[in-house]
Amino acid sequence: MEAAHKKEERKSVFSDYDYSNFYYGAGDDPVNLLGPFREWYQEAKPNGYYLYSEPLSSAPATHVQVRNGKTGAVHDLLNLASYNYLGISYREEVKQAAIEAVNKYGLGASGSPILSGTFDIHEELAREVASFKAKDAAILFPTGYSANVGFISSIMRSGDTIFCDQYSHASIVDGAILAKSKTVFFRHNNPLDLERKLGGVRGKKLVVVEGVYSMDGDVCVLPEIVDVAKRHGARVLIDEAHSTFLFGANGRGVAEHFGLDQEVDFHLGTFSKSLGGQGGFVCGGRDLIDYVNAFGRSRFFSCNLAPPLVAGLRAGLAIVEGEPELRAKLWSNVAYMRRRFAEEGIDIGKSTSQVMPVLVNNDAKVFAVAEKIQDRGLYLQPVTYPAVPKHKSRLRISVSAAHTEEDLEQAVRVIASVLREEGICR
Amino acid sequence: MSLTRYGYRNAISGFFEFPTDNARRILPAGLEPVELHHGTSIFSMTVFDFTESEVGAYGEAVMSVIVVPLVKPGERLPKSAFYPYLVATTTRAAREHAIERWHLPHWMEDVEIAFEPQGNRLTAKVAADGAPVAEMAVGDYSWNPVSHLYQSFMRDGDKSYLASITMEGEQSEHEEETGRVRLHEHAFNKDLAVSEVYDVPFREIWMRNGAQTFQPLVQLETA
Ligand SMILES: Cc1ncc(COP(=O)(O)O)c(C=O)c1O
Repeated sequence: MEAAHKKEERKSVFSDYDYSNFYYGAGDDPVNLLGPFREWYQEAKPNGYYLYSEPLSSAPATHVQVRNGKTGAVHDLLNLASYNYLGISYREEVKQAAIEAVNKYGLGASGSPILSGTFDIHEELAREVASFKAKDAAILFPTGYSANVGFISSIMRSGDTIFCDQYSHASIVDGAILAKSKTVFFRHNNPLDLERKLGGVRGKKLVVVEGVYSMDGDVCVLPEIVDVAKRHGARVLIDEAHSTFLFGANGRGVAEHFGLDQEVDFHLGTFSKSLGGQGGFVCGGRDLIDYVNAFGRSRFFSCNLAPPLVAGLRAGLAIVEGEPELRAKLWSNVAYMRRRFAEEGIDIGKSTSQVMPVLVNNDAKVFAVAEKIQDRGLYLQPVTYPAVPKHKSRLRISVSAAHTEEDLEQAVRVIASVLREEGICR
Repeated sequence: MSLTRYGYRNAISGFFEFPTDNARRILPAGLEPVELHHGTSIFSMTVFDFTESEVGAYGEAVMSVIVVPLVKPGERLPKSAFYPYLVATTTRAAREHAIERWHLPHWMEDVEIAFEPQGNRLTAKVAADGAPVAEMAVGDYSWNPVSHLYQSFMRDGDKSYLASITMEGEQSEHEEETGRVRLHEHAFNKDLAVSEVYDVPFREIWMRNGAQTFQPLVQLETA
């Protein structure tokens, strides 16, 4: 008891606090939470939060230069953190296209897409994306975040109901908030719970799912979800942020993978992951796209995508279409990692995609584990509460087609040795 | 400053998702529910097995909505805050004490509370008027000594009160979704749309061998 008491005394006031404790606070002044947050953050940062936003000073390739958030030293690390799933962001063709566009158009679009900010290459990219997705039309947004916010709020209103997976990305939730619709969350990837919640709800209904869930890397059980939604007269939106350009025979995404391209009503994606760029899009029929053009606030009250970026995206899309072997390489890398992690007894939960959570399941240790792994040459991100439930902390890994087998083997070895030293795997 | 201390053997809490519409129906004006997701607020049930207090040993069930804490510059930030909309005790003395001192709203009859340990789970069963009201089970995880500050808001007539409460003891806290609540159709649960309370707690907190200490009550300006 004496020892326990001493241990407790050493704990600071904020040692059991996390981001979630600083979100809500009533009082007389909007800045009341700044002081307590600063106090907490000053303590939390050196204990692990410094691992977030460490600046890179190279392209997000398989090897990156990272400035250590604690020491300031720059290290060459093997990169398992970037979303560059096909290694496209730094390809010569992409860089060249962007450079040429800078020379032709300069830096920015200098206008909203519905006013002066639409250039010829915006229209071309939209046409090419629609053709890639085998849809009539596509509409571009400044980011994937903006695509969800703008699309959902363009078609749903107060009095309508939006059914979201409990692990929905913040952009989906924010879209629902902006739509002012009633929002109902169903248990993660659980069509039975969705069915229970849809029952008896009248009026306009939208079910929103993700192709691949970004914290667990599991794939949506789309056939069952679509079946339930159809039976209840609900429309389905799929956010394929982490699955477009990767899944399906043509790379169109998880809807194509399941043969449900036609059954899913609305298809949304981003250019920030597999294309290594930035921007979001929605595809569908011409009427839908014209309507979203008219009512997608996050899009038309924002400047259009920068032309050099658009040029780079077009070059990236051409690579995806011209080099299907990139997808094959990604999937063989994923299979390699899955096999090796299984051999090493490392738990990656329900992941069946290129996003793999290495489960640490120990909130107190996750930063120390991530720090040790970084010290041994790997760049990856710890994820802890509140981004995932308590005690479900993990290291999030993104496998890329650009990784070599040697890269992956090195990663598995480092991770396995640290997890063993920390008693997290056998 | 005189503190009021209640020693407990066990205090178990489940945090359950329920619609924000329901939370708002329960809350008085001026208190905002904390939302877990947009449109989803938090109903919490805590059951205490008090072993020592000014009014002796007794059992207590507290039904609350988690609300936004009050933050004041220079004062310690609470971990969270709640609005207990219904408290039930196993003794009249405990009830009268809590009504008088803390202005807590009570079920005005004695209730029966039974704790049933089973392996690493503890179930609390609450019955009122001879009929079951609620059964809640929580499981344990790892145990750590803690001392956490909470705020409790009370409304009594047109007056508003705030109690700062420190919970000390060994704590197990997790989100393994291993617990369960069964809320019976009973006048006790009339404030809840029972079918809309998700019966698996997203968070389970179990505290044991500790004390709950109240700082003196503060009266707030009512809006
Ligand atoms: C499922 C999902 N949707 C949308 C986004 C937002 O995409 P962007 O980064 O392009 O804004 C993300 C990004 O992490 C995501 O994971």
